[in-house]
Amino acid sequence: MASKYLTGVGSESKQLATWYFTFAAILFGAQLLFGLIAAIQYVMPGFLYGILDFSIARIIHINALVVWMVFAMFGSVYWLLPDETGIETVGIKIGKLLFWIFAAAIVVVVLVYLLIQVGPADETTIWFITEGREYIEAPRWADWGIVVVALGFVANLFLTGIKGKQTGIVTVLMADMIAFAGLYLAGMFFTDNISVDQYWWWWVIHLWVEATWEVFVGAIAAYGLIKMIGAHRQVVEMWLWIEVAMLFGSGILGLGHHYFWIGTPEYWWEIGALFSALEPLPLVAMFIHVLYDWGKTQGAQEEKGSTVSVVNNKPAFTWFVLNAFGNFLGAGIWGFFHTLPQVNLYTHGTQFTSAHGHLAFFGAYATILIGMMYIAVQGTNGIKIMKHTKASLWGVSMIVSGVVGMTVALTIAGYVQVLVSRAQMGATWAGYFDGQSGMWFSQAMDWRLVMGVVTFLGFIFLAKDLLTTGKNPVHER
Amino acid sequence: MANKSVWSDNRFWRRSAAWVTGFASILLIWLTFDTSAQIAMGNDQDLQNKVTKRVPGPTVINYKITYEMSAKRGHEVPVIGEKEKFFGRDDYSEEEAGALLHLGKLGSQAKNCMDCHTLLGNGAYYAPDLTKAWIDPAWGPNGAMQALTGKNTKEEAMAEFLMHPDQYPTHARMMPDLGITAKEAKGLVAFLKHMSSIDTNGFPRNFGKIEGAVHGK
Amino acid sequence: MFEPFTDVVPSFFGWLNQGPLTLTIFLHTVIILPMIWIYFQEKKRLENEN
Repeated sequence: MASKYLTGVGSESKQLATWYFTFAAILFGAQLLFGLIAAIQYVMPGFLYGILDFSIARIIHINALVVWMVFAMFGSVYWLLPDETGIETVGIKIGKLLFWIFAAAIVVVVLVYLLIQVGPADETTIWFITEGREYIEAPRWADWGIVVVALGFVANLFLTGIKGKQTGIVTVLMADMIAFAGLYLAGMFFTDNISVDQYWWWWVIHLWVEATWEVFVGAIAAYGLIKMIGAHRQVVEMWLWIEVAMLFGSGILGLGHHYFWIGTPEYWWEIGALFSALEPLPLVAMFIHVLYDWGKTQGAQEEKGSTVSVVNNKPAFTWFVLNAFGNFLGAGIWGFFHTLPQVNLYTHGTQFTSAHGHLAFFGAYATILIGMMYIAVQGTNGIKIMKHTKASLWGVSMIVSGVVGMTVALTIAGYVQVLVSRAQMGATWAGYFDGQSGMWFSQAMDWRLVMGVVTFLGFIFLAKDLLTTGKNPVHER
Repeated sequence: MANKSVWSDNRFWRRSAAWVTGFASILLIWLTFDTSAQIAMGNDQDLQNKVTKRVPGPTVINYKITYEMSAKRGHEVPVIGEKEKFFGRDDYSEEEAGALLHLGKLGSQAKNCMDCHTLLGNGAYYAPDLTKAWIDPAWGPNGAMQALTGKNTKEEAMAEFLMHPDQYPTHARMMPDLGITAKEAKGLVAFLKHMSSIDTNGFPRNFGKIEGAVHGK
Repeated sequence: MFEPFTDVVPSFFGWLNQGPLTLTIFLHTVIILPMIWIYFQEKKRLENEN
């Protein structure tokens, strides 16, 4: 019985998961493509000027990012639910219908961004073209669509969790996903008061990526360890609960590090600084946890005299280990760089943030979600032991070096901006452009573009591998 | 045999996780009530009675706004001074000023300002921060922008630039024409002026105080 | 002992912000301390189970 779900053959939930993963991978490609356009515009400002301006390229770059991750997250849950609960997902037909609604809505939203771009300053623009709020620009009609789809997804998850076996992983996911869906509501209103606007906007952005999404990653990592190296559930779930306590304990009030300069009271300096300073701790814990469990399971195997690797999916596990390290480095270290108010006073709103954003979204989320895609490829093709191929290795190495390269370049650009525009020039219009025309800044932007191209080439290898590796005879079946 | 340690007991960690999450959420909600009261927009009476609000009412556009060091706060704060004409008037009623601000805030979203600029430091980094744009020396009487746009006041220069940004190239990276009408431009300038009056705890530091430190002016 | 209040509007949290770290130490403490109570409850439960 159980094997039916493990292989993914015959489970509708797993089939739906592969749809979600496929659409996510397409959007991932779109994200990189529009990121490249924006990167070219930094180097050649005339590129597509008046046709597809930076603002539009960037909207699609960051919206595709958020949406592909949400799609891959939904896919991951639909994939692991039958394994964890031991039953087929409840209400899967509605789940499938909602997938098509979601995907269609995304296509319409993107086409409107591309073809209409901006609207007159009235409510119709907010409802039908763009809300103009970074990351959640999607117009209001789409907001409501997303709420309906998210509710359907949460209902699937809850009904299945209640009916089937409720493991620690499922319990964490249930609590986490309802918070994840509910928080979106905080970003769905209009106000004339920009301070109030940004106060609630951060509830969505921060409490997603620095709280609920991180806990989601913890749960997925736990599932992956059980699945890929046969880690002991008792151990894995204990780690998971510790991580939940630490992630939410630091992440919820860590929200304060966005409230330093938006008009909110001074006490947020202290709350934001000290709670967010602790945010890297659970990420260290997750890193140790993944490597420790790997070594422990392998060691136990070697005790028995076997030197065979315990890892049954090499590419997926590679991405999971990269996640453990990338999350700590990108979200933890690069975040801590500029989280204290005395530093943030100068780094807020510079390329520093951008450097952190690139490495954090990649390290914390892209990696593990790509790992889940490989797990799905393994399951759908009935592979017992999945190995690396040339394409999977090229894909992972080029994407990782590309993203790290972009991050380093943007960090250097950030230094220039902080020193010249902020510290020396006092942040004015003239100061801004003085910083932008500095040699180090423009060279950093050249390197960012080069590294962006490397990342994109890596993505092509990755896409090719995901599409073809399932039939590759190299794997053990 | 010794008992199993509580530290290796999943139930202990599960309950701790639930407690920490729940209580941190409650604290956040409490803090949100406190902060919401402090960042609620003030009104015309506050301005007339010189009551300092973190976010002043829309009629702040009738007054001169500067950004000065406060000994008490230890950083710069916006200071609302005497009356100042805004598009030729300094007697906007609460409704008129509110309508302008409403139009400007809608415009800032409808034109995706935040996807090139930063507002209160949040947004994209392709163009200058607009938090204190209103008091940027570039738009002042000695700045380049009034002469460039052929206007005699800051607000008219800003509105003209917003309507035809592609005609006034200030940098290789030009702002595109976003189809901003005269009415919308007026609203956007009111929005910018209002934003500059928000108390941002001293961000950005030294704004407009240093002129050409790099080139030694 | 008490620092003069510097923020725009006095408030409970602003008042707790009495100098280096007072506010954040207070918040961290009230979040972490009750775990001691959970600890002893769970310890008792484990002992009873044996």
